[in-house]
Amino acid sequence: MAKLLEMTAIDKSFFGVRILRKVDFDLESGEVHALLGANGAGKSTLIKILSGAYTLDAGRILVGGETVDMSRHSPESALALGVATIYQNFHLIPHLTVAENICLSDFSTGGKRWVNWGAMRKKAGKALAAIGLDIDPGKKVRDLRVSQQQMLEIAIALNANARIIIMDEPTAAISQRETENLFDLIRGIRARGVGIIYISHRLEEIRRIADRVTVLRDGMNVGTLAVDDNLSLGAVVEMIAGREVKTGRRARTTTLGDEFGRVEELRVPGYGDPVALSVRAGEILGITGLVGAGKSEFARALFGADRALSGGVYVEGRRVDVSTPSSAIAGGLGYLPEDRDASGLCMGLSLKDNISLTALAKSRSPTFSVRRDAQLSGRFRKDLAIKSVNANQQVRYLSGGNKQKVIFAKWLAAECRLLVLDEPTIGIDVGAREDIYRLIEDFVGRGRAVLLISSDFDEVLALTDRLLVMSRGRITAELDPDKTDKPEIMSYCLGVNDRSVRHAAV
Amino acid sequence: MEQDNESKPSLGLMALGALRHQVVSITIVMLLLWVILWWMSPYFLTVNNILEITLQASVTAIMAAGVSFVIYAGMIDLSVGSIFAMAAVGGGLAYHWTAKAEFGTGASVLASLAVTIAIGAAAGILNGLGIVVFRIPAFVVTLGMMGIARGIGFIICGGVPIYGLPKAYTEIGQGKLGPIPIPTVITLILFVAFYFVLRNTRFGRFTYAIGSNAEASRLSGIKVNFMIPMIFLICGACAALSSIIEAARLGTMQPAGGNGYELQAIGSVFIGGASISGGEGHIFGTLIGALLVTTIRNGLNIYGVSAFWQLVANGLIIIFAVAADQIRKRR
Repeated sequence: MAKLLEMTAIDKSFFGVRILRKVDFDLESGEVHALLGANGAGKSTLIKILSGAYTLDAGRILVGGETVDMSRHSPESALALGVATIYQNFHLIPHLTVAENICLSDFSTGGKRWVNWGAMRKKAGKALAAIGLDIDPGKKVRDLRVSQQQMLEIAIALNANARIIIMDEPTAAISQRETENLFDLIRGIRARGVGIIYISHRLEEIRRIADRVTVLRDGMNVGTLAVDDNLSLGAVVEMIAGREVKTGRRARTTTLGDEFGRVEELRVPGYGDPVALSVRAGEILGITGLVGAGKSEFARALFGADRALSGGVYVEGRRVDVSTPSSAIAGGLGYLPEDRDASGLCMGLSLKDNISLTALAKSRSPTFSVRRDAQLSGRFRKDLAIKSVNANQQVRYLSGGNKQKVIFAKWLAAECRLLVLDEPTIGIDVGAREDIYRLIEDFVGRGRAVLLISSDFDEVLALTDRLLVMSRGRITAELDPDKTDKPEIMSYCLGVNDRSVRHAAV
Repeated sequence: MEQDNESKPSLGLMALGALRHQVVSITIVMLLLWVILWWMSPYFLTVNNILEITLQASVTAIMAAGVSFVIYAGMIDLSVGSIFAMAAVGGGLAYHWTAKAEFGTGASVLASLAVTIAIGAAAGILNGLGIVVFRIPAFVVTLGMMGIARGIGFIICGGVPIYGLPKAYTEIGQGKLGPIPIPTVITLILFVAFYFVLRNTRFGRFTYAIGSNAEASRLSGIKVNFMIPMIFLICGACAALSSIIEAARLGTMQPAGGNGYELQAIGSVFIGGASISGGEGHIFGTLIGALLVTTIRNGLNIYGVSAFWQLVANGLIIIFAVAADQIRKRR
């Protein structure tokens, strides 16, 4: 019998960058096949090609032995083939009832003009019963728990005759007990011959629920293993992280000074455990972890963008009030947000106005000199080599790298002391990336300190003096970038016991 | 070349650059309109009629100056017409109360002016607080205030218009400084002052920044929750000031006054080139916008077009001004 799904030699590039290289992936009927990989390894690209969200450049997809016409592949045709994706953010309509969501395509009208509420409830009840889900079809979706919404999505997919269900981090937002229920459900639908592609960072779960596991790294399939008692999690971690030689550390002659900044038991909304750390003068302290590890949330709480539940922040021995960004800035903090377009810049304002904004907010005087303001921004434009027509150009027309430099200039102009950088080089080309690294090094070279948050392991290994690993809101390790490697970092990111990783690495 | 741009941010050049896009084009439109009207009626382009237009435009212009701040900050204020009436009536009552106490006419007039401005400012602050405390859109809060202020205006005077203002008061609207009407002078002073505020003060820069991206502004250390009530304070105070001009011109305060004025004020700001999404706009654009709205009204008056059609024209102007902005953005 033909395999349920065969993807062969899938190739995909974005803007000349090859994201997937000849990736093979297959799925048997009644199988749970886990898909693993670091951030940017190509997992979601592969999934989006299968679900019709992206087109592919080369390769072949067979569903149930039949070739899919990729030129006409779309989210609608994927659904028609029986490919359903359960996303982390749900596709349900919260204000409608469970029954309405299940029957959303036609409201059970059977082609007639009027909604048949009775038929709809009956149909919904059947769909729910089919997977043993005990939810009242008349309940509004917004009143359901997250785990129930997730299961409802599965019920809807099955009701639409899905044969292949893709689950993207299904346990990220649900409790231990709800995870057990989900696993029971997965076992149930597996027994009915449905194939499941299961994406997760939690290796323990994969050991429990998956039949096979495939690891992607840098857009390539680096191996498919059967999940059995012989499976070594250490080996999987190594496959995810790669064994390659460490990229060179950047040469930097900074002598680290005394303690410069300190975070005491900062409790971040949404995460249980408090975070504490300390950074020395002249130090680049790296914080890494996978997407969803709580790094950005920690940065926002540290800067006052979101209010921390408790905890203290000290810069150069003085306590900083981090209840609002404005008080955090007054205390010497600076913050470069992850989504620089949405929260870093005023797109419609000029380069000049953006650069001076923070300094202006920090100053006491109600008026300012337009001339001095222009001189200041002119200087930063030159020093940071920001490419623009002139200082009056709106920042919306700048490239990603130059936008990032504008934000950097903002904090330099405001004479910030401790700079928190959240993914400063994401989406930035190689040349500008080098410029940003140099700016960071210059910044700490003058006796200040940087917290560099990044999920790019190469970046933190090359740039930082000390490296913290965060997982589920906790710091799980403090590492010396000179003495660690990507597999070790990955093992802490994934929350695997470090001893087992060491054994595997030997 | 680039060097020159940086090292010489000459005031004239920069002012020209800012004016180039919106204000100049709208000024040209207005001058064209004047020429057309002059061609149709030689009476139109006389010094007297132009001064008359600036006088008529002053009420709209002053109200629009305040609304400009709100729109530059990316919000809207629908309540200015109602605040206009409430503040005027409050000031009128204050005049008659203090006049009874016989502190002298001058003192009573000053008290009346102070009360009017204070009522406008207070209503504005309440608008702003409503927005930041309850986190609801300005559109909703000011729509509510539109009803509240209108109602309070009627309640405090029992629905009866206030008359009997002394010459010291009416002179504000009817007097002249040489050949120039006093309201025109007040309008000019206000706009020059606001030009300075928007360009050379933190408050002005932050107004644009909030309009461009409120979250980025907050993360840059701007106290957005303080700024918004202050922006609405200016807007409310300007509505009150414009009501003083009108009361002085007409010699009466009407609880039903200012009806539909928000339409003209908001229209003036958009005609002046402000962006509906905030962050852009030039205060002199608003001034020209107010003149243009008034010119159209004045022209329609000369040709005997009914006031009802003038309302229609006002509504159309707003829609077309914003549509022009959207088309400019799409380009």
